Amino acid sequence: MSLLSRFARNRLAVVGALALLLVLVMALAAPLLYPAGAFALVGPPTQPPGGTFPLGTDTLGRDVAAGIVWGARTSLIVSVAATLGAVVLGVLTGAFAGYYRGITDTAIMRVTEFFQTIPSFILAILLVAVLSPAVTSEILAIAVVSWPGIARLVRGEFASLGGREFVLATAGLGAGDARIVFRHILPNCASPLVAVGSLLVASAILFESGLSFLGLGDPNLMSWGLMISAGREVLRSAWWICTFPGIAILATVLSINLVGDGLNEAFNPGLRDR
Amino acid sequence: MTSSSRFLLGRRSLIAGAASVGLAGTADAQSPQRGGTMVMIVQPEPATLAAYLSVAGNIAPVTTQIYEGLVTYDWSLKPAPKLAKSWEIAPDGLSITFHLQDGVTFHNGAKFTSADVQYAFMQVLKKVHPRAPVVLADLTAVDTPDPLTAVFRLSHPAPYLMMSLSGYDAPILCKSVFENVDPAANPTANKPIGTGPFKFGSWERGQYIRLDRNPNYWQNGLPYLDRIIARFIADSSTRSAALETGEAHYAAFSAVNYSDVARLKANPMLDTTSKGYEMFSGISEIELNEHRPPFDKREVRQAIAYAIDRKFIIDNIQYGFGKPATGPISSTFAASGLYTDDVLRFDVPDRIAIANKLLDDAGLKRGEGGMRFATTLEVNSFGQQWQRQAEYLKQALAVIGIDLTLRSEDTGAWLRRVYTNYDYGMSEPFFSNLSDPVIGVQRQYVTNQIRKGVDFVNNTFYSNPEVDTLFTAGAQEIDPAKRAEIYHKIQKILVTDSPVIWLTEIQYVTVFNRKLHDATTGPLGTYSAFERTWIEH
Repeated sequence: MSLLSRFARNRLAVVGALALLLVLVMALAAPLLYPAGAFALVGPPTQPPGGTFPLGTDTLGRDVAAGIVWGARTSLIVSVAATLGAVVLGVLTGAFAGYYRGITDTAIMRVTEFFQTIPSFILAILLVAVLSPAVTSEILAIAVVSWPGIARLVRGEFASLGGREFVLATAGLGAGDARIVFRHILPNCASPLVAVGSLLVASAILFESGLSFLGLGDPNLMSWGLMISAGREVLRSAWWICTFPGIAILATVLSINLVGDGLNEAFNPGLRDR
Repeated sequence: MTSSSRFLLGRRSLIAGAASVGLAGTADAQSPQRGGTMVMIVQPEPATLAAYLSVAGNIAPVTTQIYEGLVTYDWSLKPAPKLAKSWEIAPDGLSITFHLQDGVTFHNGAKFTSADVQYAFMQVLKKVHPRAPVVLADLTAVDTPDPLTAVFRLSHPAPYLMMSLSGYDAPILCKSVFENVDPAANPTANKPIGTGPFKFGSWERGQYIRLDRNPNYWQNGLPYLDRIIARFIADSSTRSAALETGEAHYAAFSAVNYSDVARLKANPMLDTTSKGYEMFSGISEIELNEHRPPFDKREVRQAIAYAIDRKFIIDNIQYGFGKPATGPISSTFAASGLYTDDVLRFDVPDRIAIANKLLDDAGLKRGEGGMRFATTLEVNSFGQQWQRQAEYLKQALAVIGIDLTLRSEDTGAWLRRVYTNYDYGMSEPFFSNLSDPVIGVQRQYVTNQIRKGVDFVNNTFYSNPEVDTLFTAGAQEIDPAKRAEIYHKIQKILVTDSPVIWLTEIQYVTVFNRKLHDATTGPLGTYSAFERTWIEH
C-alpha cells in the first residue's frame, strides 16, 4: 500500500490536510485577495460581520478577513522557517551525539537538558525582547527553544540504528562517517522526524501567536496573535475582532496535529492496527 | 470657589464632550457628612513616599494628603492660599514674601514656622528634587524675618515659580525631622510627616496604604473623611470590577482602561470626570530627527502634520478621549491666557492635497510604488494604544507617499535610541506641559536642551535663536499680558516650523462612586488633598 493511501485511511487526517491546504492557499493568495494589505483602513471601525466585510472590521476600520488572510502568511512563514531551523540544528546535534556517543554525546545531551529545563515560552520572550521584535528574531527564538526535542529524538534513533548490521556492513565496505550518517542512517529516521516536525509547526504557530499577543511580534506584519491582542479590550462590544483569529489559530493548529497523526500512522502502518 | 462657578466649569467640559452626565463631585445641594472611609485605587503601587525625591505619578495621590504646599491652585490655574495665607511679589520680581498660616502643626506635634519653609526649600528641595534644576534654579535664599513670614530671594524674576508651589510640586517638610539627616535617606521617607488633613497610618506592601484623619488639622472642621485607603490592584479588569462592586470609590489617571470607561459610565452607581488634570496636560507627538534628511526640510515636516487626521486617532484609538492638539502648548493654558490657536492650522479640508504639494515642492517625487521616501517610526512602548497609533500613522503617511517601517522595543532600548544615540527618524512620545511652559514645554524646543542622554528633552535638533530668546524672556516676564504675548509668538513660530508634530491632548478620566462628593475640587485633581471630600453613609 502506498504512503498516500495509508495516509488516506485516516479520515480525520484527510480533513486536516484539506484545512491546511486552505490555509496555505489563503497565505499564498493574500496579495491577490487583499492587495492593500492587512493594515489598510478600508471602512468604518467596528463593523459587525456581514455586508461589505464578511468578518467585520476592527477598532481602526481594518478588514478582519484581510487580517486573517495576511495573518496566515505570517503564521506559516514564521512557523515553517522556525521548524526548519529547529530540525536542521536538532538533526545535526542529535546525529553527532548518537553516532559518536561517549563524551560528545554526554556534552550535547547536557546542553539539550539545559534548554529543556528552561520554560520554553519564557526563553522565547526573553530572546525576542533582547533581539528586538522582528520576524527574524521570532523565527530564531522559536527555533532555539524547539531544537532540543528533535536532537533527543534523532540521537535516540542514531543510537539504536548505529549498531545495526547494515551500518556495520557499510562501515566495513569503507564508507566514511558522513556517508554513513547522511546516506544510510538519516533516511531511516525520516518517518519519526516528519511526524514530530509537523507537530513542531503547530507549536511554532502557537508560539508566534503568543509572542504577537504580548506585543513582541513584528509590528509591520499582521498576525493572528496581534489581532487577538488588539481586539481583546473590546471583546464585550466587538466579539468578532478576536473571535475569528482565535478560530483561525485553533483550526490551523488542530489540522496540523491531525495531519501529523496521519503521517505518523502512514509511516508506521503497524501503529494503527495495534 | 463657589458652587456656581464650579457649575459653569462643569458645563464647559460637557460642551467639550468631556464630562459625563451630571456634575457629580461638584455643586452638591446636600451638605457634607462627617466620617466614613474612602477607598481610592492607586496604580501601580508607589516605590517610595519620598515626594521630595521623586515626581513619579503614583506617589502624589498619597503624599498630597499628608504634605501641603505654600499654595494650591484654583480652576483658573491661579495660586490660592494654603500654608501661605497671602503673598506679595516685589515689583522687580526679585522677591516674594509669603505670610504663613498661624496655628499649624505637623503630625508629630511640631509647630510650623518659616524656618520649616526655609529648610524645606534650601536644604532639601533645592538639593534633591528632580525638577529643582529648572524650577528652583533662580531661588538664592529664603529669609525668615519672623516665624510667620518667609521671603524668597530670586536672582531673576521667575513667574513660573508661583506655579510650582503646591503640595505636589514642593511639599513643606518638618525641619526637625530632616535636620542633620541626608534627605535621600530620611527615615520618614515611607512614613511621611506633614501638615496635611490626613496622617500616615500604615503601609501593607502589595495591598494598601492607610491614611487617618488628622484631628488637629489647621482648617477647622476638616477633613470630613475618617480614613483614606489607597489600594493597589495590579490587574486592570479587577480594578474596574472593584469600582463596579463599590469596593473602591475612586480611580484617577489611567487606573481604568479607556475601553472600560464607557461600560462603567453606564453603571448608575458610578460617574466619571475629565476635570482635575489641568496642570498636567499631556500632548502626544511625533518627534522628527532633523539630522535625518528629509526631516531637515520644513515643508516635509509640515506635510506630515497635514497628513494626520487627529480626530481619527481620538475617536478610534483613544476611545473618544482627547482633543486635537494645535501646537506645543495645551489648550488647558487658555485659563491663564498663555494658549493660542491662532497658529498655522493643519486641520483644513484640503490637507492631503497641501501635503502632497509640499512634498512635491521639496523635491521628493513619488517613485516606485508611489512612495517618496522611507523611514522608521519608533513605537512608544507604554502600551497598546501607541502601537495602534503607529499602525494608523503608517497608513496615513503612506497616503502622501511616506513609507514607514515600525520598530517596537522595550522602554529602555527605545529611550536610549531616541534620546542618547539619536538613531531614529520618527518617534511617538507624549509630553506633559505640567503647570507652566517653563517647566513642561521649553525643554523640548530650546537649543541648550539638546542634551545627549537626557530623556524627554530636545532630541529633534531644532535650534532657532529667536525661539531661544523668546523662551528666556517668557521665563522672566512677570506681567501676565506681556508674558502671554511672548508665548503666543512662540506657538506661532513653532507650529510653522513644526519641529515635532503635535497630535492630541491626552485626556485622563477619573471614575468615582456617586456616593463620593467633592473629590475633584481643583486643577490638581488627585494630586491635591481630599480635605473637603465626603462620602454618603
